[in-house]
Amino acid sequence: MATVQTIQSAAHRQARSRRQDAIGLWIGRILVYGLLIAGCLLTLAPFLWMLSNSFKSSTEIVRLPPTLIPEKPTLQSYRTIFTDPHVPLMRFYLNSIIVTASVTGLILFTSSLAGFVFAKYQFFGKNLLFTLTLATMMIPFQVVMIPLYLIIDRLHLVDNLAGLVVPAGVSAFGIFLMRQFIESIPGELIDAARIDGASELGIYGRVILPQMGPALATLGIFQFMGTWNDYLWPLIVITTTERRTLPVMLTWYNSQHGSRYDLTMAASVLVILPILIVYFLFQRWIVRGIALTGFK
Amino acid sequence: MTTVTRRRTKLLRSQHIFAGTSLTPIMVYMMFFTLLPMIWAVLITLFRYSPTRQGGFLGLGGGNPFVGLRNYVDLFSASPNGQLFRIAAKNTLVFALLVLPLNLVVTLPLAVLIESVHQRFKVIFRTIYFLPTVTSLVAVAIIWGTVYNPTFGLLNLALKAPGLPGKPWLSDATTRILGVPLPMLCVILTYVWQDMGYNLVIFIAGLQGIPEVFHEAAVVDGANAWQRFWRITLPLLRSTLTFVIVMTMLSSWQQFVLVDVMMGHGGPSNITRTLVLHVYETAFRYQEMGLAATVAMALFLIIMVTTLVQMRLLRKEWEY
Amino acid sequence: MDKKTLSRRDFLRLSALTATGAVLAACGGGAPTTQPSEPGATEAPAAEAIALRLWSHQNPSFIAANEVLVTKFQDANPGVTIAYENFPYDQFIQTIQTSMAAKNEADVMEMFGSWVQSYAKGGTLSEAPTDVMSMSQARELFFQAPLDGYVWEGKLYGMPNEYNLENGAVLVNKRMFEEAGVAYPPKWDSWEALVADAQKLVKMDGETMTVAGFHYVNGDGLGFLYWEGVLERGADYFADDKIHLNFLSPEAKETVQWLVDMAVVDKVVDPFTFNPNSNWVGSAFFQGLVGIGFIGPWIVPEGRRNYPDFADPWEYVRSPYYGAKMSFAADAGWGKVVSPNSKNIQKAWELAKFWTADQANCRAWNVATGTVPALKSVAADPTLLNDLNWLGPSLEVLPYGRYVGMLQDRDYVWYTVIATRIVECMQGMRSVDETMTLMNDETNAMIDSKIGG
Repeated sequence: MATVQTIQSAAHRQARSRRQDAIGLWIGRILVYGLLIAGCLLTLAPFLWMLSNSFKSSTEIVRLPPTLIPEKPTLQSYRTIFTDPHVPLMRFYLNSIIVTASVTGLILFTSSLAGFVFAKYQFFGKNLLFTLTLATMMIPFQVVMIPLYLIIDRLHLVDNLAGLVVPAGVSAFGIFLMRQFIESIPGELIDAARIDGASELGIYGRVILPQMGPALATLGIFQFMGTWNDYLWPLIVITTTERRTLPVMLTWYNSQHGSRYDLTMAASVLVILPILIVYFLFQRWIVRGIALTGFK
Repeated sequence: MTTVTRRRTKLLRSQHIFAGTSLTPIMVYMMFFTLLPMIWAVLITLFRYSPTRQGGFLGLGGGNPFVGLRNYVDLFSASPNGQLFRIAAKNTLVFALLVLPLNLVVTLPLAVLIESVHQRFKVIFRTIYFLPTVTSLVAVAIIWGTVYNPTFGLLNLALKAPGLPGKPWLSDATTRILGVPLPMLCVILTYVWQDMGYNLVIFIAGLQGIPEVFHEAAVVDGANAWQRFWRITLPLLRSTLTFVIVMTMLSSWQQFVLVDVMMGHGGPSNITRTLVLHVYETAFRYQEMGLAATVAMALFLIIMVTTLVQMRLLRKEWEY
Repeated sequence: MDKKTLSRRDFLRLSALTATGAVLAACGGGAPTTQPSEPGATEAPAAEAIALRLWSHQNPSFIAANEVLVTKFQDANPGVTIAYENFPYDQFIQTIQTSMAAKNEADVMEMFGSWVQSYAKGGTLSEAPTDVMSMSQARELFFQAPLDGYVWEGKLYGMPNEYNLENGAVLVNKRMFEEAGVAYPPKWDSWEALVADAQKLVKMDGETMTVAGFHYVNGDGLGFLYWEGVLERGADYFADDKIHLNFLSPEAKETVQWLVDMAVVDKVVDPFTFNPNSNWVGSAFFQGLVGIGFIGPWIVPEGRRNYPDFADPWEYVRSPYYGAKMSFAADAGWGKVVSPNSKNIQKAWELAKFWTADQANCRAWNVATGTVPALKSVAADPTLLNDLNWLGPSLEVLPYGRYVGMLQDRDYVWYTVIATRIVECMQGMRSVDETMTLMNDETNAMIDSKIGG
């Protein structure tokens, strides 16, 4: 009799504690989702604000108090930008695409090759060379801007899209990232390929590269983002309007003492949009890529 | 020599040849565009140089005289440049030291939270939180400038709704919270907002790399979520953490765009003047490139030292 | 595995993209722009093709004004083509200096007058050839204040298009005056009278000032008011050696005290809500947040463009002055300078002269940009007010201005020292005495570092 009761109450207790666990789980889950969604709203708020402002008319945008959602949404700002004879918008997009694609391609190649050598080969002075490579990441751009410009000028690449591509062909960060990833590729694979008589270049092409899809995609996306958003350097190198890249639009409507906010917001939207699209299309590669670089 | 050794030597040699022929052009290419300008920059720290003055060879000499170590001495003197340098150094230090913990406190728990939800939602959350990082920093500075605007900005609009007072966020040089000026806090907040996506993604990847078995075993042993986090997750994330810490500090040392664009050249009373902003202004507004390069060298040294110290402290195996 | 082959294909795709991109970049970049290929073109007749580059900052009215003259010059000089490019203001200096380092800056640049002397001193500007414009000619044609900014050690390095005037007249919002029942148009015989009116225009929302009565707390304004205050009190803001500045004279302190008191004691403006970084007067006035604004007439086209629906009637009214006679200091405004590296220096100078010394062109330029003319004949033109109808009061005070002088680093003195420190004083950070000492030390240390070599 006592045993049955004990068993029954034990079962009761188990069921109750399971229910408590279930409730706890639910509360926990609500909390988690709640926090995440709240965070999302905070993250998105400035974007939505920018978007909202870009649809305001030039009078509404300076009205006080400001409105959250435009009362009379209009495409006027966008129309102004698209029809502005001083703004060859499509050319800006084209120039940005050319420069960004070229630089990204170059960097993917040089980084993977150099990363491979740093990771899997031994030679005198390797560590010193690698440290030197890393050290180049620590110099603020503002100081090397002028000598770099002088170099570009000597190469007759000023006011030329090539002047944006050529100095950017090698990235210390890219080499670093590739090296980290390639190091985690087992040496046995390489040795096996060597025994099979593959040349070093063949190993690069047939053993290493195929393994590095996600890492290449990661580096590619980051480099794409970085080059696309580059503002300062293109501004000094390119002086002719038709050759400018897109980010120049961001301050296009700034004057000495303030700016046309409606136009600036619309311009910002136009600059950000392509990156967002690229990101959405390729974003699953990023995490997978980083995960596979071995950062555990 | 035996056949084996001969083949091994030949193998070694072909390896060396490959390493040499592929790495050398890349290194030369890179050094041409990074090391060469660096050397030039170091050189001009010994001169009083400005592109607006006629000089001699390579612009040096003539109107841009050789001054030896005077620029370096000036950094520690009572001259306006020296004072601004020390202010900028302090601001940069404050910025970097505040960004790091704030960033970690936001991104790591966020990563854990995102990892704990349903697979379908993970992607959505990850995407949204990464959006600021994808955006150009210049665009971010402009957008947040309109958010902080005291008259028609989003922040004051949101505060006024429940009746709270709006504040001149970016132009109040006197208000301090815990000793940190208000505008500086605003810059820090914006920077963390923009940068968190990057660390978030890295942490998520790191978390994904922790085998499930560890967690399961811990659950069986009766550990709750909190204990699991501290005893299992954190230690296993150490290498990731080290990388994130080093990279976050590295980029926060070099903060320029926000304080230039959003704060309008360093803001009132130089309260958000960072070292890189000081370099830029010294070079182009005050037309003293030699001094600017000196400040940049100082910054470089600071970064070098702190990075090495960090790496040693966290005992990270850089070479994974 | 699928992943492997896909990634390989992606990589090949990327390489193809790179190759195409590199080719496109080389082609699309094209030959370097209009670097003049004909060396040493003197007064060449139409047969020789000359290409000149003109740079200005990115202000829509300036761009429009310049484009009109570009077409006109090209029509009048067949064989000359002008490539006109403009740059965001914030990066303009950086662009100029970087190109100067490489000696490939534009032939003609529209520079802000107060920058000119330091470039001239450094030897990076071309001297005006006497057959194009001699010193004596220039002194006849232009007002002294803007012209002196383009003169260094007795030589002429450019010509001004604009008299950068800030003093002498203030922008008033007629509707606010009438609503507050203040006499309009106002006739102030002293600053006290202006302050009294301004106090009536202030609007508060609890603790926050929503409308400023008299907003003068901006980067340019504080500097201009300081020079004017010291001059009108009979002193000079320069020290005896005419190189350093003297902030320690009793007149200097009085001036700063007056500026601070207007905000702190008379409360015509709240320095926390209205300062160079917040509610800048040029925007705030056209948003209806300011009753009386201290800002030069150059703001009008910008204000109209940015705030097209601002319906309040406004106009410029003569401002009061201290003492017996008005005396103020002005900057040199925007004007044209020529690069010594130009391959067509003579033609470049002719272009500069076409823009700045030809009465019809000047008039058109000033009207389009809404700036005060630097050319005496344009200012004396009675029909000018038909086009720039707000300029009346400002034109009256032009003769009372002098060039502010060689400050070594104009922006540093104006914005980093004067404007910043006075605002800090207003915000309670320091006393007036401490502020004077600080300004004195900072400015003179900067001057020492510039002349010390």
